[in-house]
Amino acid sequence: MRKKELKLVVTFHTTADAMAMEKACKENHVPGRIIPVPRSISAGCGLSWCADLSDREEIAAMMEKAGIKEEEMHECMV
Amino acid sequence: MNLSDSKKKLALAGVVCGLVAACLAFMGNPANMAFCIACFIRDTAGALGMHQAEVVQYARPEVIGLVLGAFIISVATKEYRSTAGSSTMTRFVLGMIIMIGSLVFLGCPLRMIIRMSAGDLNAWVALAGFIFGVATGVFALRRGFSLGRAHVTNKASGAVLPVLMAGILVLALCSSLLKASEAGPGSLHAPLIASLIGGLVFGAFAQKSRMCFAGSMRDIILMKNFDLFSVIVGLFVVMLAFNVATGRFVLGFNTPGIIAHSDHLWNVLGMYAVGFAAVLAGGCPLRQLILAGQGSSDSAVTVLGMFFGAALCHNFGLAASGTALNAETKEVVAGAVPLNGKVACIICILVCFAIAFTHKREEKK
Repeated sequence: MRKKELKLVVTFHTTADAMAMEKACKENHVPGRIIPVPRSISAGCGLSWCADLSDREEIAAMMEKAGIKEEEMHECMV
Repeated sequence: MNLSDSKKKLALAGVVCGLVAACLAFMGNPANMAFCIACFIRDTAGALGMHQAEVVQYARPEVIGLVLGAFIISVATKEYRSTAGSSTMTRFVLGMIIMIGSLVFLGCPLRMIIRMSAGDLNAWVALAGFIFGVATGVFALRRGFSLGRAHVTNKASGAVLPVLMAGILVLALCSSLLKASEAGPGSLHAPLIASLIGGLVFGAFAQKSRMCFAGSMRDIILMKNFDLFSVIVGLFVVMLAFNVATGRFVLGFNTPGIIAHSDHLWNVLGMYAVGFAAVLAGGCPLRQLILAGQGSSDSAVTVLGMFFGAALCHNFGLAASGTALNAETKEVVAGAVPLNGKVACIICILVCFAIAFTHKREEKK
């Protein structure tokens, strides 16, 4: 089994925002991947963006540029 | 103990829910139905007099228990969150579509899995439709579909549906106002207290595991993520073992007495509509009940749409009939989808497409 690591997890208000995030990240070559929202941070069943903690600044800047607003940015074991 | 931090524990939650369904089937719930959200909402709508189909009227304590179980566990574990305001009436319509599609097939996605575990090949055929429906919903998501965000609202607002469900339970226990079938599927049920406890346990485990049939397929298609699917596998394995052990496993299509039909095209299209609408609404019928229990008024409205859809199905003759054995001639009478049901199913699919491609995420100007 893959060992869990502390990661940056960005949650969104809608699934569409998460999909837009995936598209924008691919276009701008921003690292990370889409994952289901970890159960430890939400009772919802939506999608979130998971990346290394070190990518936080780059991700925040790209979201600002693309007009994607996060619900929250978490640091949790994924 | 965290029940949701590994696939094994999630599968365990599915096993618990499977055991609940198996116990209720053993104690009297209709054969091969055990625990069906669509059928049970339809029966409850009948008990409230929303439709007059005398064979499917009974206030199913399982539905009440699911909502209350999710409500209690979410409050206890601080996951209760009262939210509302995401395309309310669109969700009502999606609830109607989910119900109409389910009653064309004769079961929600949960019952589809239960029917599959009992060897009903019609359900395996319908699974293809369900997967295509979810895939179409995923395609819409990729194209920017959105019903808009929900907002946090007054705490009491999210508790309205659980209170209404508790009200139905009080009526069932203390009055003779509710209708109850004397024959047919509505007359077949486990004892009230067992059904209620079963619903509470199922609801609590479904809330903690985020169990969702549409969500599990969506996550596989979108991310190759099998977390939610492991819950379904747990439930399927238990029901399969139960059906084999009790002689209820009958492999075949035209099996009388299990409330199913072999109209393959309509089994596929019915579950296509359900899969499509469930992805657009953000969850299968079970998940809508659970989300409503944990405070989502949007899901509560979807549940009301399902009640309304159930009433329409029986008032307008949309629901399919199951293959049955003629008691006098001993001949097998094939179940079928009536013309009204076929037309309604097509309309439902068209409405899903209209919703999917007219509700878009607002881009940055």
